[in-house]
Amino acid sequence: MQSPWLSVLSFLVVSTLVGLGMIGAGRVLRVRARHDSPLKVRPYECGEEPTGPAWMQFHPRYYLVALVFVLFDVEAVFLLPWGVVQRELGPAGVGAALVFVAVLMLGWLYAVRKEALKWQ
Amino acid sequence: MNIALALSPLLVVALGALLLMLAEAFSPRQGGLALGAATVLFVGAAVAGGVWMYGIERLPEAASLAPWLLLDRFGLFFDMLLCLGGGLAALLAGGYLVEHGIERGEFYVLILFATLGAMILASSGDAVTLFLGLETMSLGAYAMTAFRRASPRAAEGALKYFLLGSFAAAILIYGFALLYGATGHTDLAGIGATAATARTPLLVVGAVLVIVGVAFKVSAVPFHAWTPDAYEGAPTPATTFMAVAVKAGAFALLLRVLLIALGDASWTSWAAGWPPVVATLAVLTMTVANLIAGRQESVKRMLAYSSIAHAGYALVGVTALMRDPTQAGASVLFYLLSYTVSTAGAFGALILCGSHGREAVSYEDLSGLGRRHPAAALAFSLFLLSLAGIPPTAGFFGKWFVFKAAIDGGLYWLAILGFVNSVIGAYYYLRVMVYMYMREPAAGAPVALPMRSGYVTAALLVSALFVLALGLVPTRAIEVAVRAATLGAG
Amino acid sequence: MLSLFPSNDYLLIAVILGMPLLGAFVNGVWGKQLGKDAVRVMALTAVGLSFAASVAAFVALSQLADQQKGEHVKLVWNAWEWMNTNGGAGGVTVPIDVKFSIDALSGVMMLIVTGVGFLIHLYATSYMADDEGFARFFAYLNLFIFSMLVLLLGDNLPILFVGWEGVGLCSYLLIGFWYEHAPNAAAGKKAFIANRVGDFGLICGMFLLVHYTGALDWNGIANGASSLLHTGEQARVHVWPLGGGQYTGVLSFLQPKSPVTISAATAVGLALLLGCTGKSAQIPLYVWLPDAMAGPTPVSALIHAATMVTAGIYLICRLSFVFVLSPFVMVLIACVGAATALFAATIALVQNDIKKVLAYSTVSQLGFMFLGVGVGAFTAGFFHVFTHAFFKACLFLGAGSVIHAMHARIHDGDPSQDLRNMGGLRRWMPLTHWTFAGATAAIIGLPLTSGFFSKDEILYRAFVNRTVNPAAAALQGRVYAPPAWIGTALYATAVAAAVLTAFYMCRLYFLTFWGEFRGWTVGRPSLLSKHEVAAHDDHGHGEHHEDLSTPGHPPHESPWQMTVPLIILATFSVFAGWLNPGFGLSRQPMEHWLEPVFKEATEGAVVYAGGHDAAWAEHMTLPLALGGIGAFLVGTLLAWWMYVSQSGAPAKRAAEAQPALHRLLLDKWRIDELYDATVIAAVDSLAETAAAFDRAIVDGILARLTALVVAASGTVLRAFQSGVVHVYAAMMVVGLAATGWFFAVPHANATVVDSGNNDYLVTAAPGVGYAYRWDADSDGKPEKSDFGADSTLKLHLEPGRSQTVHLEVKNSFGLIRSKSIHVARPEEPTSSL
Repeated sequence: MQSPWLSVLSFLVVSTLVGLGMIGAGRVLRVRARHDSPLKVRPYECGEEPTGPAWMQFHPRYYLVALVFVLFDVEAVFLLPWGVVQRELGPAGVGAALVFVAVLMLGWLYAVRKEALKWQ
Repeated sequence: MNIALALSPLLVVALGALLLMLAEAFSPRQGGLALGAATVLFVGAAVAGGVWMYGIERLPEAASLAPWLLLDRFGLFFDMLLCLGGGLAALLAGGYLVEHGIERGEFYVLILFATLGAMILASSGDAVTLFLGLETMSLGAYAMTAFRRASPRAAEGALKYFLLGSFAAAILIYGFALLYGATGHTDLAGIGATAATARTPLLVVGAVLVIVGVAFKVSAVPFHAWTPDAYEGAPTPATTFMAVAVKAGAFALLLRVLLIALGDASWTSWAAGWPPVVATLAVLTMTVANLIAGRQESVKRMLAYSSIAHAGYALVGVTALMRDPTQAGASVLFYLLSYTVSTAGAFGALILCGSHGREAVSYEDLSGLGRRHPAAALAFSLFLLSLAGIPPTAGFFGKWFVFKAAIDGGLYWLAILGFVNSVIGAYYYLRVMVYMYMREPAAGAPVALPMRSGYVTAALLVSALFVLALGLVPTRAIEVAVRAATLGAG
Repeated sequence: MLSLFPSNDYLLIAVILGMPLLGAFVNGVWGKQLGKDAVRVMALTAVGLSFAASVAAFVALSQLADQQKGEHVKLVWNAWEWMNTNGGAGGVTVPIDVKFSIDALSGVMMLIVTGVGFLIHLYATSYMADDEGFARFFAYLNLFIFSMLVLLLGDNLPILFVGWEGVGLCSYLLIGFWYEHAPNAAAGKKAFIANRVGDFGLICGMFLLVHYTGALDWNGIANGASSLLHTGEQARVHVWPLGGGQYTGVLSFLQPKSPVTISAATAVGLALLLGCTGKSAQIPLYVWLPDAMAGPTPVSALIHAATMVTAGIYLICRLSFVFVLSPFVMVLIACVGAATALFAATIALVQNDIKKVLAYSTVSQLGFMFLGVGVGAFTAGFFHVFTHAFFKACLFLGAGSVIHAMHARIHDGDPSQDLRNMGGLRRWMPLTHWTFAGATAAIIGLPLTSGFFSKDEILYRAFVNRTVNPAAAALQGRVYAPPAWIGTALYATAVAAAVLTAFYMCRLYFLTFWGEFRGWTVGRPSLLSKHEVAAHDDHGHGEHHEDLSTPGHPPHESPWQMTVPLIILATFSVFAGWLNPGFGLSRQPMEHWLEPVFKEATEGAVVYAGGHDAAWAEHMTLPLALGGIGAFLVGTLLAWWMYVSQSGAPAKRAAEAQPALHRLLLDKWRIDELYDATVIAAVDSLAETAAAFDRAIVDGILARLTALVVAASGTVLRAFQSGVVHVYAAMMVVGLAATGWFFAVPHANATVVDSGNNDYLVTAAPGVGYAYRWDADSDGKPEKSDFGADSTLKLHLEPGRSQTVHLEVKNSFGLIRSKSIHVARPEEPTSSL
């Protein structure tokens, strides 16, 4: 008789093993630099030179822009499945989608009016 | 078109919220938003009332939205209740925000959207819409709590509320995920139908998580800890809204979950189902909150604990659902109604007692109010008496029906504990009255002066009217509640 | 009058009730703006019109009573439908309407409340004239009249309860009227709490009544009262095990062999009695009344002597037909009354505060009334309510007049109420003196005064009356019979209390009005009013020195607004006894008037002691009256000797000879301290515990424990470490864990139902995903080896036999719990209460 929990347990075990395995594999397989190399202390070995501490505060405007971005991102995500079936839905479907977009546009208008998208 | 009619309370509030949002953004004048918000909500309540009178049963097309939105009398009752609570909070905000210099139009928009969320929550019959409504409501409440941006206290309260709220929301949604895993349904009715046959432990774990998640929202002890901090830090109208509308929405959710998803005989078993859990929550909530409330030095914080305690009384009625869902459900609905008007009134009276950036906070601030401002003191007393459950006020019948439901369900001990608790509660409510009528302010002590505001006065009048009407002629209201609860089961 | 208002829709009641309410509203809201004159006019008009309407209604009622001889007639006004509940055997709908009615009983009370109320209002217009809270005072007083009328005229128990709470609230507000003094506020709180304890009893009684009789209005209760006495199980209230359950598991040792039950009638009676002891200040809830005298004196007279405190007796009279169904409760009422009468009288012996003496005297007199109704002499008990209203109101108002006069001289609250500072006042206050003397004569039972007749009837009835169960025949022997000596004991106690009454009232009277004035040297010059200083100015300018050792202004008589009520009340105190003189005289108007009200209660329920007949009782009238007259003589003469002829020397000697006893009496037997140490300490410590729990467990252990967990488990929870949010989250987790634990563990539980034919049906409680396995004979071998869905088991048991059933429950997590259920068929209950 198999317990229904066995699958959960095995899932837990496997996921733990995968996580630990990755760390372990990294340890074993990594390229070892010489100890006195300046590259040793760099976060990245190529690309941008980091400036300032990593624990800096982000400007709150960033969140506003990001939020509005996510909003329309999600709008696009919702419109995609609608587009696939919009022929079957007919005019009512178009209407519903228009309402959906209109409500979001009102939100966008609000954001513009409140100058949420201005960086100053 | 019938669907639109059935949906009209939600539509009114949604459209009103959008309009008000634009008006707030584009209108050069800022005044009148409170009036607008209150009008939208009261119209919403009136429309819900109109649909109720017309008879939702005559709109069969409304069923096509099930299970996502259950447009039934239960939902309509909550539409009315939530619009009433939200409208009162909006009126109070109209006086409070101006008086204390934090008048920004977003507040009213937030109230409208949060109320809309609560209405969706109360009508939802599916985990997806349910969560949608819950989060719409909660996000608005979080933002309103932090509305006084300069105050560290507000920020602290809001952050705690937000963190723990997210925690609880996570628990709730995880519970629904497990229920979905166990039954293959996200709609409550489907979960309920399958629960009878399902034997899988997932079902039980999921149900536990859902119950705990909802218990957080109704702020039942021990899931209440965020409440006093959040209620105290928030501007008082926001506190009112949270104590009234958010709590009512959460109770709607609780009733729907318990009645529809967990309404099976093995779930309502007194030995091993949810009734003993809910009863324990009720006893803990009443007792702990009442005992701590008596020790508060701030009236606002006392009222915060009082609102926790009242959730406990309502939970007594919820426990009794196991025997007679209709009568017990009706008692809970009536309790929520009486609680809504009494609490909104009490907070409103507290708001009325402060002015010019000086809020009435401590008992000391209220001393001698009976002499300085007899009308305010009289109104405050009325609401306190109602909260204490003294006839002939709404609160008396609220407790009466809840305890009666418990007794009819054979839960004598629960009713007795509830009664003992209401005696303890009477102590700290009357303490306020003692200060108002039997103390004089200490010489030279800074004492808050009552404000003059048509908005607040209007809110108090409406609340007082309800408190007295429900206390003197409760028959009609309880009939309405019974009809609302009758359909709640299906 | 009847032509104008039909008796089944008697709208005049709206006027009787509405006028005081209007007065309260106007004075409460606009009192400040209106000024004192307008407030006075409003308050007096309100009560006066209410009184006039009451008289009209009373006349109409007596006409109706004449038309329908011997019927229990009522004037009814049904205002509106209030609410519904359900109850009774079939769960019928019980309407609770806002409905008022006037019958013989409530009619008399209504006249007392509005009539005496009007006099006291008049008195108060002068007594309170200089008080800042003049308007507030009259608003409260009018509100009290309204509430009291609601209490009296309410046609059902819930409406009565509304009035009951209303008078409690007004009493609370008026006791704390001078709330600047901390003790006054404390006294108000005490009254509130004691009354709430009583209210709890009243509410329980209400629930029981609606449950058993299916009605809450007087007629309905009367019709359904018989269902309180069924022999069957449905009319037995299970006291132990509480609610009729069964103690199992670790509690099984508590399970008695046969359940302890009392009849529903006894349960209802006990619950209502608790309510009545609270309102009418009887043992054990009397403690609030003496402290309640902190309020203004007119309040003491109106609320705490004449009207509100008699509400308990009114309720017993009103529901007399329920009380008589339980002779046990009747005897208990009588015993409580007699004990209170004696107990309070002993305290009154040594008190020095004039109002305190009267307060304990009120408690004692209320005890007499309880004794009267307790022995089934409802008319006698109620008649004492009637006469007491006059003489005690007169005494209090007289005391108020004295205090008023003393205060004008002494200018200090407490010393001006102290008997030790009075004396000889009859010289300056003749009207007060004579009215006070009249009322004192009534209370000590001077033959032919009102108190003599009413008290004597109670003493007489206590000796000769017995209450028996009217349904004794139907109860098959399970009836409570009071011991044979109870009548003698009650009579002796009451006579002793009467002796003490005569003594302490005469002491009060002599100390106040006789001898020399002892108050010359008391008082504080700094408190002399400006008026007085101005009056003295002609003696010389500059600094003002009043030599308090030499006689100054003597106390003066009070103005007419205060003396006129005194005269009227004193007249009634002396002569009202002739309304029901007893002694077998042919004219007994009160008895005749109230007969229809108490007919139901007394028929079959009240018999004469020792199986004697009416002739015997008639013969006993005069011998038993000797006890009352003797008590009067002994008490009065003793007081005369002690305080007049020997000027108080024997009293001093007695106090010195027994200092401990004297101290104990002065401290009122230290009952307050006892309550403080027990009940109040218990509540306090509960609150302390909760607060300590919050501090110690939540902040202390839980916070630290979480810190430990956080430190151990590393980074995840560290993000939450700001503030104390993690404690909150920890509480939630604990709650979640507890809830989870409850559902993870199976709960083996079963209910046992008697399915008739000596069969029992054992039903295991359902649970999600539960499976069951039974072992009916507990031999360790279950009937079926597999767990199944079968959740019931049928057992056959003969009376007196028992069997243990073993139940195993497995839940969906595979956990198993088991439970042994002991099923026994108990013996039949045998209690007779």
